[in-house]
Amino acid sequence: MSEPVLRVEDLHVWFDLSGGRELHAVQGVTFELRPGERMGLVGESGCGKTTTILAIMGLLPGSASVAGKVFFDGVNILEKGEETVSPHRWSDISMVFQGAMNAFNPVKTVGSQIAEPMELHGTATGKAARAQVRELLELVGISGSRADRYPHEFSGGMRQRAAIALSLACEPKVLLADEPTTALDVMVQAQILELLVRLTRDLGLSMILVTHDLPVVAQVCDRAAVMYAGEIAEMGEMATIYHDARHPYTRMLFSATPDLLGAEDVKSIPGAPPRLDRELVGCPFAPRCDSTFAPCTVTHPRRLEVDPGHEAICHLNDRVVVEETA
Amino acid sequence: MSHATTSTDLARDDDKSAEAGIETTPDRRGFVRTTILGQKQALIGLIIVLVFVLIAIFAPLLAPYSPTEKTGGIYEAPSSAHWLGTDDGGVDMLSLMIYGSRVSLEVGFAAAIVAMVIGGSVGVVSGFFGGGVDVLLMRITDIFLVIPDIPLVIVVAAIFGRNLLNIILIIGIIYWTSTARLIRAQVKSVRERVYVKRARSIGAGNNRLVFKHVLPQVAPLLIANTVLMIALAVFLETYIAFLGLGDPSTISWGKLIENSFLGNAVLNNAWWAVVPPGLAVTVVILACTMVGQSMEDALNPRLKVGHLAVRRFRMRPLHGKLESE
Amino acid sequence: MQRSDYIIKRTLFAVLTVFVAVTLNFLLFRALPGNAVSGLKCRACTIQFKKAVAHDMGLDKSKWEQYVIYLKNLAHGDMGYTAITHKPVRGELWDPIKNTLAMITLGTVFSIIFGVFTGVISAWRRGTWLDKGSVWTALAFYSVPTQWLGLMIVYFVADRVGLPHGGIQSPDFGILGNPGTYEFLVDRTKHMILPALTLGLVLYGDYTLIVRSAMLETLGEDYVLTARAKGMSNWEIVWKHGFRNAMLPVVTLIALSLGFIIGGAITIEYVFDYPGIGLAIVDAIDKRDYAFLQGAFLVLTLSVIFCNFVADLLYFKLDPRVTT
Repeated sequence: MSEPVLRVEDLHVWFDLSGGRELHAVQGVTFELRPGERMGLVGESGCGKTTTILAIMGLLPGSASVAGKVFFDGVNILEKGEETVSPHRWSDISMVFQGAMNAFNPVKTVGSQIAEPMELHGTATGKAARAQVRELLELVGISGSRADRYPHEFSGGMRQRAAIALSLACEPKVLLADEPTTALDVMVQAQILELLVRLTRDLGLSMILVTHDLPVVAQVCDRAAVMYAGEIAEMGEMATIYHDARHPYTRMLFSATPDLLGAEDVKSIPGAPPRLDRELVGCPFAPRCDSTFAPCTVTHPRRLEVDPGHEAICHLNDRVVVEETA
Repeated sequence: MSHATTSTDLARDDDKSAEAGIETTPDRRGFVRTTILGQKQALIGLIIVLVFVLIAIFAPLLAPYSPTEKTGGIYEAPSSAHWLGTDDGGVDMLSLMIYGSRVSLEVGFAAAIVAMVIGGSVGVVSGFFGGGVDVLLMRITDIFLVIPDIPLVIVVAAIFGRNLLNIILIIGIIYWTSTARLIRAQVKSVRERVYVKRARSIGAGNNRLVFKHVLPQVAPLLIANTVLMIALAVFLETYIAFLGLGDPSTISWGKLIENSFLGNAVLNNAWWAVVPPGLAVTVVILACTMVGQSMEDALNPRLKVGHLAVRRFRMRPLHGKLESE
Repeated sequence: MQRSDYIIKRTLFAVLTVFVAVTLNFLLFRALPGNAVSGLKCRACTIQFKKAVAHDMGLDKSKWEQYVIYLKNLAHGDMGYTAITHKPVRGELWDPIKNTLAMITLGTVFSIIFGVFTGVISAWRRGTWLDKGSVWTALAFYSVPTQWLGLMIVYFVADRVGLPHGGIQSPDFGILGNPGTYEFLVDRTKHMILPALTLGLVLYGDYTLIVRSAMLETLGEDYVLTARAKGMSNWEIVWKHGFRNAMLPVVTLIALSLGFIIGGAITIEYVFDYPGIGLAIVDAIDKRDYAFLQGAFLVLTLSVIFCNFVADLLYFKLDPRVTT
């Protein structure tokens, strides 16, 4: 097995709140990303998935504090915070933002904004940069002549493609895509997803796709991690976690989406995620879970590998706990 | 003080925000509580204004001397007898200041109300009825926005006004434009709201719609704008008085500044004749601006997260901070 | 809608505004009974004199006729004659306007540079003491009555820095033989500094607040986060993305504050006895020389309309989104 291009180890993120309190938004996230792999990061809004990938690139605001390690090609890029993470931006790890429509500055041409990181990181300048910009646009399915147009002249779908082209400007190894298809209509959505799959395959990119939309993950990703309340509840190969979900949350998510490959709206699980500004006792999913038993409200479950490459945080998988309770 | 300031005054933004349907639904009862009392600076501003209003109302009780009689020497320095000294006619400055507050504030409030009534009506009619009426009214407003305001005020005052009422009307009539634009944008966005449409389907007549639904929504913004207008009117009064166009029979802070100029207070080293009136005007305008601006900010929340801060995210060590699991 | 439509629309609007301004000018000064000449105050202004002037100005004709004559004259650049000295108004306007222009340009440039600078820094260091201090200072200067600030400067500052209290030429200028251009400029500048400073201080408060607010809004935009993700430093982001976008409302702002600038110039020139158009207007008001006032006001208004038009075009060039 090849070395992981990205390895996140025990990542924590806290946000300062008024009155000296803190919001523990990401609680000990650990995962690996292998070269050429497409991994999904799924969960309801507020579960910490966007915060996680922002943390990987060091894009969190001043009110955030981070603990843990992020290894890129074996080097911990979070070692000294901003200092060590910024050199890797765009040239090693890049991002397609949520609401990429607004990722472009309205008063500058799209082309100039795609060339910007090239010139910044010294990959290409002037004419060479312009040529590369045209190439990138063609790659994502936009006519190269549109490089001199302004963002407002692009349709929503085209702007998303342009944002993807932008993310590829410095030939990164890892692409972090945050809800790249939200707010697009279904047809365009499918095209964008297809594009992402094709690009990662052709360019050998690894990708983390963050979304709350299960059908999207199913369509695109090889592996998925399901997040809840700042933690990874379950992680494994797509087929495995679909057929053999080992965390009630995962199971309930999938059953709330009767037709994974269809167009029906995702139904949600009743109840709401817990508040993360206070300490939680027991399993965070317990209040909404349909399979709780004695230890669920008392102890936090351990992270267990139920099968090679398949892990979950749930007491039900913990033989020790199950025996003790019996 | 330039009247082009209020962040909502930039004409180009008004139409955009109306189309975006900016949600401003202040809970009417909680409005005062949350915007004014909730914000320290607005509260301070309000208190300052109230203090001055009280001074104006109770002037005869507060002033130590008569503002028209010579009670001391010419340009006497401040002393225990005359806290702010005397002016070039031997009249007590403190009394002049106290009585001066009356006219200054009167003009301020009255002119602001005139502007609010005209501007508010134009804005409501324009925003509500739309179409040709809207276009016409907005063209007129745009034209008035371009024609330089202060020279116009000065010239019109020179022609028409040596009395107080005229001055109030002049200020009010020339400044209704920014209020109109603001209210129009607000009315337009309110109009898009569902419940107004629903009321229409039941068959409620236009007037009922206007008064029952639109006005209460628009009122808070109107009030905020009026407060800022008061500041502007007080400011303009000083201009008008300074150029000798004010009502010669009244005392106002603007007039006091003019007197100090004409009476060569500078040459006579009589700072007490120059400093207090201007200071008072500055403080009142500052206070009104604080209140008005806070109100507007509360109604048009636009402050997003700043992505660019000097302070970056912090790294911290794992142990000691983890919740044990 | 085509972009070129914008230019056409704006030009039409400017023309319309000019027309309204011209008519308004006429209405103000002529259409009111007994106003134009009856109030004239001067030593030679006897009843016969006034009658003669009235006849000269065509005040004994019907209002409509007067209007037509007025428009015709204007088209030829004829703005009538001052009622008192009987000199052509047009000629009388030129020198004062030059003086005023120099002074307000100096003041406005100062306020723009200073205001933009403090506004940007304030937004960048939002929430810090630097920001709060600068906002409060700006608010204070924004609230100060212009003429009072002028008086305060004359009182407290002028002597201390050795600058004149007013006027435009030192009384001892040219006493020691023929002064050269350099000495002329120096003397003129010395007299312009304090008035310009007064104007600049009163304006800068407004500009700081607007620039700061525009900057803050820009900095909260998504494309700023994207820029940060691309690896740009704070400074680069502010300069390449923030600045350009935040300057858009500033252009509009400057155009809108022209009325204030002129009003400020009027009071400032009065305080500093600076012979610009402002002082000329004050004198004319005092003497009830309405012919002069009419010409002066018209010129000022037309200049402002023109500047607004230029600002519209500038905005059009800067913002590619503008279509209407």
